[in-house]
Amino acid sequence: MTGDAYREELRHGNGLRHVFRRNAAIWAAMLALLLLSLGIAYVPLGAMNTPIALCIAMVMAGLVAGMFMELSGSRWLRGFTAFSGVVFVLVMFGLTLADVLTREGGWTGLAPIAP
Amino acid sequence: MSDVSILKEPWPRLDVQRDGSLFGLWVFLASELLFFGALFLTYAVCRIQNPEGFLLAARETNVVFGALNTAILMTSSLTIAVASYAAAEGDKALRPVMMRCFAITVMLAVAFLVVKGFEYAEDIEKHLVPGPDFALEERGAELFFALYWTITGVHGIHLLIGIGLIVRLWLLARMNQLTLEKNPEVEAATLYWHLVDIVWIFVFPLLYLSGRAL
Repeated sequence: MTGDAYREELRHGNGLRHVFRRNAAIWAAMLALLLLSLGIAYVPLGAMNTPIALCIAMVMAGLVAGMFMELSGSRWLRGFTAFSGVVFVLVMFGLTLADVLTREGGWTGLAPIAP
Repeated sequence: MSDVSILKEPWPRLDVQRDGSLFGLWVFLASELLFFGALFLTYAVCRIQNPEGFLLAARETNVVFGALNTAILMTSSLTIAVASYAAAEGDKALRPVMMRCFAITVMLAVAFLVVKGFEYAEDIEKHLVPGPDFALEERGAELFFALYWTITGVHGIHLLIGIGLIVRLWLLARMNQLTLEKNPEVEAATLYWHLVDIVWIFVFPLLYLSGRAL
């Protein structure tokens, strides 16, 4: 009736207990990732600290989107819509950073003010 | 109440209505990604231009409050996912579970806002509000905190909206004016809630974890 793989699977299993266990497992994984990102934040890794923290954040977000938001196993159009949102964010970042990173005076220079 | 009350124009059947509502919701969530994406992009540009200022300023945020709030929001995502499942199953026996999980979700969100309140009070006391009394002197530190207040403030408003959505569903169900079982409105509110959680998952490392290893 719903057409979604996860919901169909729930119908056949011991619904509520299965859902609690599955979602609690995802939550536990996210808590572990949170603690990991907290720990790594205090390790001096130079320029790599932020990219690593963001990668961990992306895994956590992926868990929420794929599992809690049931994107995985759902109809392709929803996943495609989410993906296209991400694509447009990347386009926005790409176009803006193409300007900022190639400015005269380097990245940390402030943009020159026209006379 | 029968399924007829949930089915709305122009949908011919419930499953088609569900697919349509979820697709529409995801289009909205994609636009929200761009909304917060623009804020994150501003952060990125300002941080590229003021790396030391940003890292030094980020050390002044309260990482305990930030981590606690991240854990609170993650747990609320768990409880709302269980509530959403209970609603989708349509089993009347699961109704107490559903209502209780919605209530816990809202309580966790309120707890988030309470922690935020304490955090804001502490920040104001430490003169971390951009303006003439701003405490830090490094170039870019004030910019960091302008972004801090804007991003956390906007996120808080989104959370308030989410609280409103869930409270409305809970109250209408309580008063038997709305059937939550198999209702796409529940899934829509749940998806919005998870997006608010996802946004915070990215806010946390950018505002709270940066500069800790200095």
